[in-house]
Amino acid sequence: MIARLLTAGLFLTAAFAQTLDRTKPPETPPLQPYKLPASVESKLPNGLGVVLVEDKRFPLVTLRIAFHAGSRFDPPGRSGAAETVAGLLKAGTPTRTARQIAEELAAIGGSLSAGDSPDSLIVSGSVLSENTPKLLDLAADIVRNADFPQSEIDLRKQNRVQELALERSQSSTLAGEKLRAVVFGAHPYAHTLPTPEAIKAIQREDLLKFRDTLLTPANATLILVGDIPPQQQTLDLIRARFASWPKKSVPPAPGGEFPKPQRSLTLIDRPGSAQVDILIGHITVSRRHPDYFPLLVGTNILGGGASSRMFNNIREKQGFAYDASAHNMPYKDTGLLNVNTQVREDVIEPALKAVFAELDRMIKEPVSTQELTDRKNYINGIFVMQLSSQSGVANQLASLRINDMPNAYLETYVTRVRSVEPDQIERVAAKYFSPSDAAIVIVGDASKIAGSVGKFGKVTIEKAK
Amino acid sequence: MKLTTLCAFLLSSALLPAGDVNIPFEKFQLANGLRVVLSQDNATPVVAVYVIYGVGARSEEKGRTGFAHLFEHMMFQGSANAPKGVHYREVESNGGFLNGSTHPDYTDYFEVLPSNKLAVALWLESDRMRSLAITKENLANQKEAVKQERRLSFDNQPYATAIVDVFPTLAYKNWSNSHSIIGSFEDLNAASAGDVATFFKTHYAPNNAVLSIVGDIQIPAAKKLIEGYFSDIPSQPQPTPPDLSEPPQTESRWQTYKDPLARVPIAAIAYPGPKRRSPDFYALAMLDMILTTGESSRLYLDLVKGKQSLLNIEASLGWPFGQPSDYKEPGIYGINLTFNPTFTAKQIVTQLEEEITRLHTTPVDPRELDRARATVRSIRIQGLQSTMTRASLLAQYELLDGKPELINTELNDYLAVTPAQIQAVAKKYLTPTQMSVLEVIPAPKEGKK
Repeated sequence: MIARLLTAGLFLTAAFAQTLDRTKPPETPPLQPYKLPASVESKLPNGLGVVLVEDKRFPLVTLRIAFHAGSRFDPPGRSGAAETVAGLLKAGTPTRTARQIAEELAAIGGSLSAGDSPDSLIVSGSVLSENTPKLLDLAADIVRNADFPQSEIDLRKQNRVQELALERSQSSTLAGEKLRAVVFGAHPYAHTLPTPEAIKAIQREDLLKFRDTLLTPANATLILVGDIPPQQQTLDLIRARFASWPKKSVPPAPGGEFPKPQRSLTLIDRPGSAQVDILIGHITVSRRHPDYFPLLVGTNILGGGASSRMFNNIREKQGFAYDASAHNMPYKDTGLLNVNTQVREDVIEPALKAVFAELDRMIKEPVSTQELTDRKNYINGIFVMQLSSQSGVANQLASLRINDMPNAYLETYVTRVRSVEPDQIERVAAKYFSPSDAAIVIVGDASKIAGSVGKFGKVTIEKAK
Repeated sequence: MKLTTLCAFLLSSALLPAGDVNIPFEKFQLANGLRVVLSQDNATPVVAVYVIYGVGARSEEKGRTGFAHLFEHMMFQGSANAPKGVHYREVESNGGFLNGSTHPDYTDYFEVLPSNKLAVALWLESDRMRSLAITKENLANQKEAVKQERRLSFDNQPYATAIVDVFPTLAYKNWSNSHSIIGSFEDLNAASAGDVATFFKTHYAPNNAVLSIVGDIQIPAAKKLIEGYFSDIPSQPQPTPPDLSEPPQTESRWQTYKDPLARVPIAAIAYPGPKRRSPDFYALAMLDMILTTGESSRLYLDLVKGKQSLLNIEASLGWPFGQPSDYKEPGIYGINLTFNPTFTAKQIVTQLEEEITRLHTTPVDPRELDRARATVRSIRIQGLQSTMTRASLLAQYELLDGKPELINTELNDYLAVTPAQIQAVAKKYLTPTQMSVLEVIPAPKEGKK
């Protein structure tokens, strides 16, 4: 078998060698347009949104139940409520203990977990497709009936305090936490991780109230992607488990004014730090804003992937860092530009200068056509690939529902990226990339770097938490 | 043609009992020794190209620690026809992504691209296999990038130094197995362009590599491209494999490490493991599922929930540098326990040993084993969804076992494990004298006022 193939192969080589030019990249056809998988949408009378996408390639089903209920909904003085609800959703219901839930899930080759973000609380699950009804049983039980047994709350609080210490032992956590506090001010988006004191203060009543107010059908969308039964049968499975979930009114999302951007420079002292984290941020816009696509492309040119300007200059040319990148993190009501790199102590000054120079260059020089086309292809290629797995499709659909955006967003994404022009990028760069009103956070050993950092303006030094 | 293939694939998976997947593939070898595995899946317009070389940190010699990894960086620094920066740019501007990674027994590189860009990846991979540009300037620059990577991912992270640099010296006694995978600054500084060129010629030959391609391809066209780009790269004499043999462990080992960046203590535990893909290997992997995996595992239920002593459990054959799929003997069964500071590491180890004694004395409950089987099956099929995972598994099975068909058949070896086998491997491998414990104690440094 191998010998036969080899002969055929060698013969082909002879014919092929004449046309193959190794000195330049091969010519390939342009990127193909991408068609989204067909989805079926519906709504139960109690307001629960339903989205079904059939994908029979693997005998698996992926589930999401997305609620408008993240950390921005934490009641005043109860920071950490959303993450505690998410963390304890599988801790027990009136009919199942945590252990029963875990054992039933394992027996069907299934998984269920819940996670929170600033705008959402999302239950994620997957299962071998033959067991889809059973996964829906368990998902319905936890989102409708989770009752947070006191012993489970006590254990979670005790362990979470340790976990928070562990998370705050990472310099990137400290930097991200500070940046959000500076950029978002009094808005609930400013809070990322709760304090140990806030966790200790949480009571069972807080969790029940959060569940009863926010984990309600009209505030949620159920998404099933994969090897699901025929449409009517799937809808029947869903109705049987969710139709009797009582309808409730949906509360408005807490918000508030964002502070006006202004230049700030904070140094978080982390004694013994082996390197310095640099994080520069600026408030931007949500995915619904007209600036979003020019900003997406501009941020990518600045610091997306391994052929971005920051990567090329700060890592490949200067050797200051292992990585240097920029991305725009969208929230439902705004966005946050993150420009970051981690460098060794002795180059903090030239490295910061190099990052500022790249930001300035985005504002002052138009991007070339080639660079623009290359980066658009990158963004679109990654976007399409993310939609090639069940979880990729499910995550995108959940994100659209949380951000109140139509499916057309996915369908027009590639075109909207392609239509971004150089002058639009210059314009958004001037609005969002200027070092003159950026929030700058540095994490490192202050005894070694305070002098260098001080050359960039008035520094506020804080102790690491 | 495309439609027929698609239907055939969908049909084949629909006819099998749900939960089983058959990944079609074809394997052949070029005259220069390059092994190739192709798997066609036209369902989405994506292709994964994966090249694996049979060289890793365990191939390094004394005074050359970190070489395999430094070399992995050099592979992105340009080649004869694709100068520095072109590799990244060509892949990304064609809508793809790429990376490489260094492991104890192999080094791998991949590109995932829209499928009509397959030729771009083959051009790049063949150009650097044939003609890597090893210059002083690139080397100097990448030494800095690697050192910075070490500061970022190891020196500045809690536990990283303990686990990457210290733990292997406790678990292994043969230098080839125990030295640091990322290497010392001293050895990195000493590396010359000539050293790197020798390393390239010795280890980066087509006969020491496997190329796998998975995704939206047509096999004849893909073969033609592979022949065109790779067939005239010369093969090299096979290097002598290093002696990796470990002396048998006859007494328990315990070491403490003070970590200035850690806030919570851990106990990292190693037991010498079985031969790859032996019956004992599968039995120990199933034992691990029952003992440590998920919220219905014994350690979770008894220690995280019951005694409330553990905060987190991480364990597998091959931990911390590998997993069962790329485990190779001599290897370890590694267990990493993050624990509540109100307990001592001694107490935690005693609690673990109590659980292990239970495995010695009583066969596991058949229902418990059934849950582990369902979980193994589900994890396996979940992983196969990704074209990239399929490409890496096919290539790893070819490199390590010469059997890419394991992608379809190996699940049965896991599912066939019996309670008696689990009890037997518990008694054979998980004994007090074969245990090594690294206790990591948080020791924060105070700042000067």
